[in-house]
Amino acid sequence: MKKIIEISHLNKTFGDVEAIKDLSFCVKEGELFAFLGVNGAGKSTTINIMCGRLNKNSGTVIIDDHNIDININDVKKELGVVFQNCLLDQALSVKDNLENRAALYNINGKEFSKRLNELSNLLDFGDFVNRPINKLSGGQRRKIDIARALLHKPKILILDEPTTGLDPQTRKTLWNVIATLRKEENMTVFLTTHYMEEASEANYVVILDDGQIVAEGTPIDLKNKYTGDFIMLYGITEADVAILGMPYEKILGGYCVAVANTKAATELIVKHSEIFNDYEITKGKMDDVFLAVTGKKLMGGAEK
Amino acid sequence: MKQLRALVKRNIKLFFKDKGMFFTSLITPMILLILYVTFLANIFKNGFSGALEAFDISERLINGCVGGQLISSILAVSCVTVAFCSNMLMVQDKVTGAINDLMITPVKPAVLAFSYYISTLISTLIICYTATAVCFGYMAFVGWYLAFGDVLLLLLDVFLLVMMGTALSSIINFFLTSQGQISAVGTIISCGYGFISGAYMPISSFGVGLQRVLLFLPGTYGTSLLRNHALNGAFTEMESIGVPSDTIILLKEAFDCNLKFFGHTVSVPIMYIILIVTVIVLVSIYILLNVFKGKKRMTSSK
Repeated sequence: MKKIIEISHLNKTFGDVEAIKDLSFCVKEGELFAFLGVNGAGKSTTINIMCGRLNKNSGTVIIDDHNIDININDVKKELGVVFQNCLLDQALSVKDNLENRAALYNINGKEFSKRLNELSNLLDFGDFVNRPINKLSGGQRRKIDIARALLHKPKILILDEPTTGLDPQTRKTLWNVIATLRKEENMTVFLTTHYMEEASEANYVVILDDGQIVAEGTPIDLKNKYTGDFIMLYGITEADVAILGMPYEKILGGYCVAVANTKAATELIVKHSEIFNDYEITKGKMDDVFLAVTGKKLMGGAEK
Repeated sequence: MKQLRALVKRNIKLFFKDKGMFFTSLITPMILLILYVTFLANIFKNGFSGALEAFDISERLINGCVGGQLISSILAVSCVTVAFCSNMLMVQDKVTGAINDLMITPVKPAVLAFSYYISTLISTLIICYTATAVCFGYMAFVGWYLAFGDVLLLLLDVFLLVMMGTALSSIINFFLTSQGQISAVGTIISCGYGFISGAYMPISSFGVGLQRVLLFLPGTYGTSLLRNHALNGAFTEMESIGVPSDTIILLKEAFDCNLKFFGHTVSVPIMYIILIVTVIVLVSIYILLNVFKGKKRMTSSK
């Protein structure tokens, strides 16, 4: 698969603060790429450099074969960005905002009307297309942010914490739209999020801490490397679970036993088959991976 | 070109939709209007009447003079304060982050900077020419003595002052980044410009030291041009009914039509040259600021 984003030895400082330290990674075309880190880890700085909004101190950034140092405008045409907050003009209507932004990509007249229609069908905002942005709900506003990012049919969609503060239904709708775009248009999605369940859906994950990569890989690789498996045992007593000689904790209706990996879980089940009548085995979660590699927890936007 | 047109359209729409920004821009002209209605009109009326009591001057001619003083003052401050308020969008875009959304598009920063200038110019001209039309209506009501040439020159004066106000606000707003700074600059300009341009009180009524300082400010000549063209018809009428030219010269000096720069009278063509050169210099500074900012970005990215 083609590498659509290639970042090599990227460095960025703000005064004495090193925001990005020798950062290198690649994103493959069509991939859902998750870029994780607590606030201040360097995620937004990296995105701003990719978009040409910030200068870097050193390193190279190549996006769809365009070096940002040589022609940033070619790069900008390939990127659609959904920022953390809505940056559209609050006093103007949805249509006015989209028409204005489309014109900046030289999409005008009938071409714009056609694109507006496509996006309106995709994101279902036809009912409030003439309403000012400041009269929309959070979910409606997010839909328009995504429509704005997709106006020029970018190859890469950058989502900077796109679902923070949204209700589960709207979050689900947005992910369905993004899944459709990935499937039908092979769009690459570059995601930063504080929701680990979203990150666990990614093809590849990079975890950033203090401006540098502390872990990377597929979610399953990361889980295998940084967390163990968990066996949930139901309908047994504490005396039964204590026999296993493994660390455990009480959960609703049973006990959760931590094991090193699936192989160890299998061995335990075979050895103590008499107590394994009602059980399930799960992999560790991305939260556990994040905690293991950074020593910090991400809880819906806040560092713990 | 289409990108520039789209940005200009956006900026103008936002200015007229933002009631706060729009009404703030009208604060100074409103203050001026209230000052005139409450006491300045009487002071100027008494001033004209006192200076001309030896002559048989009609009430309408006196009112025409006071009206000319009023409309020139209103237009002088409006051209600059409206430009400042309209151009606040440049700062608001930084505060709200909208600039980030604009800058991720393939629009060149120079086009973005130029769009703020053009849109401010257009918004300010719309408001100031509307105000000029209202002022002409007022003059027709109290005493119309304006010749056709004076009307055209008044329109030219407004245009040049708006160009100057827009360029000046573009330079100052270039450095602003927060809501607090917007408020501070807005307040200073709204309150201060009326005084330093001689719109609230004629410069001739200030102390000699302050007068000398104010004569270094190009806005002073803009106000004087408006005064000259708003009062020219009334002075011509006075001359025709026998008021001596010495008296008219004294009146012109008292009401800032004649400005003396270290003893030398500044003629109307020189005032135009000062204003045009000021506009050219200010616009050049704005362009250089943007070029320098662009080069800095390019250099530091290597």
